Amino acid sequence: MAESRPRVSPGRVALYVTLALTSLVMVVPFVWMVLTSLKTPAEIASEHSGLLPSHWEFGNYVDAFKAAPFATYARNSFVIAISHTVLNVLVASMAGYALARIRFRGSDLIFYCFVAALMIPTYTKVLPEFLIVRFMPLAGGNDLFGQGGSGWLDSWWALIVPGAVTPFAVFLFRQFYLDLPVELEEAARLDGLGEFRIYARIMTPQVKPALTTVALLTFESSWNNFLWPLLVTRTDSLRVIQVGLSVFRTENGTHWHFLMAGTTLATLPMVILFLIGQRYFVQGFATAGLK
Amino acid sequence: MVAPALLHAALWIGLPVVAAVFLAFTSYDVLSAPKFVGLDNFRDMFGDAVFRKSILNTVVYTFFTVPFGMALGLLLALGLNAGLRARGVFRTAIFLPQVTATVAIALVWLWIYNPRNGLFTTLLSIFGVESPAWLASTTWAMPSVILVGIWQGIGMKMLIYLAALQNLPKELYEAASVDGASKVRQFFSLTLPLLKPATFFVLITSMITAFQSFDQIYILTDGGPANSTTMMTYEIYKSAFREFRVGYACAQSLVLFVLLMAFTLVNRRMMGGTRGHG
Repeated sequence: MAESRPRVSPGRVALYVTLALTSLVMVVPFVWMVLTSLKTPAEIASEHSGLLPSHWEFGNYVDAFKAAPFATYARNSFVIAISHTVLNVLVASMAGYALARIRFRGSDLIFYCFVAALMIPTYTKVLPEFLIVRFMPLAGGNDLFGQGGSGWLDSWWALIVPGAVTPFAVFLFRQFYLDLPVELEEAARLDGLGEFRIYARIMTPQVKPALTTVALLTFESSWNNFLWPLLVTRTDSLRVIQVGLSVFRTENGTHWHFLMAGTTLATLPMVILFLIGQRYFVQGFATAGLK
Repeated sequence: MVAPALLHAALWIGLPVVAAVFLAFTSYDVLSAPKFVGLDNFRDMFGDAVFRKSILNTVVYTFFTVPFGMALGLLLALGLNAGLRARGVFRTAIFLPQVTATVAIALVWLWIYNPRNGLFTTLLSIFGVESPAWLASTTWAMPSVILVGIWQGIGMKMLIYLAALQNLPKELYEAASVDGASKVRQFFSLTLPLLKPATFFVLITSMITAFQSFDQIYILTDGGPANSTTMMTYEIYKSAFREFRVGYACAQSLVLFVLLMAFTLVNRRMMGGTRGHG
């Protein structure tokens, strides 16, 4: 109530209204997606259907699972996103630690290489990456020179290995490890701990925000990735959910009720993860921006 | 301990970049060995009206999504920084599209733009306005794609601005208030200059993202109608994976890279060489 809050001014009310309207605009497409996924095909086709379904058709979700192997798509996406997350956190944190904390020859050069790698557009790399996968020696029927078979195409290797470690994660970890006090490291060294144990036992527990940030960002980009899985997979059993959705669109016209059910399912895990890890997500994006 | 990451980067970033540069000067269809053709690819490219169109489209798309998105993002960040209740709810709503896959978002918008009974058509018909076939019209397809781009990207821009605003030194504002500077004056003489590093960061990252837009084009328009929404990335994809002209596609991707670098350098000059700290 306006009376109970002394600081209500017209400007503040206008601000609330503006923000509420903007939020509405941002959320409406998601609401529309869910509502459409619960309509019957007849109602979707009708020109006079309202926003709300006249009959809530929850069966669409069951039918969508029958019409396309969504369970397989979702499982594949999960396997890939989890693998990427684990590998990136592990490998990039080690590299970040080494670059921040160990003085060795060429460490500066290596660091600048990672920074340079950050700036290379996906599209400059993606074609040769595809060729490396295609001509991977001694894989998928290829001989030693990568000829004869299909290499890593249509395999878990192609889906997981090339995108596993990101220069961005290496960079972010390095920044976090740099901020730790020297005393910690020196005390551990005096206790006779080896370098790897200092990294694993002493320093890494101190950079939990970096671990969460990298884990969330990696999972997000892996789950949302489209082009790479589209390029390297052919068979349905290896399709990821984003590619599965786009394939679904072209099969004898578009079944909007299935498609929106599928899209809702593909969106849900990220929304849930975002809502649970919101604090870290927001912090992570902000830190990633300003470090 | 840096070895695994370095090996990975060497194989999946270093080697591909070297290969891309090499292949750009060859004619290569994956089946037979690459053949050196000198600058032919580059000559073909600039003789190709569709590729020229795609460069123009990419620039237009970037020009509209980036500055407009940044202005909106900054305004929202300023609003959210005013110490409101429930700002967490607003922030969450505005940021939500950012964590959602572009493919999923594009599919939903495809349905919203549906000319028969999509959300837009339905809304406009309430006001008695007949809507065009958004994505099938050469006039409206690009603005429609741009709208989706702005809508999806706003959250990230807002968030970085919000983080930067929260780090601004409060004493300066107190001093300015004591000196009698108005809120508007404070914004232009204090906030904007102090936000320069954040602005530079948002500008560069948004531009890189906009220049590389692909998923939304693939889903929404397939580059059409009549190439009105095709982008450089989409042309690269077409050359490589539909026409199997890998050398040509590599040359196109080099042009994309050079353009991105040039834009970044120009911006840096214009912003007076500001960098984010660290």
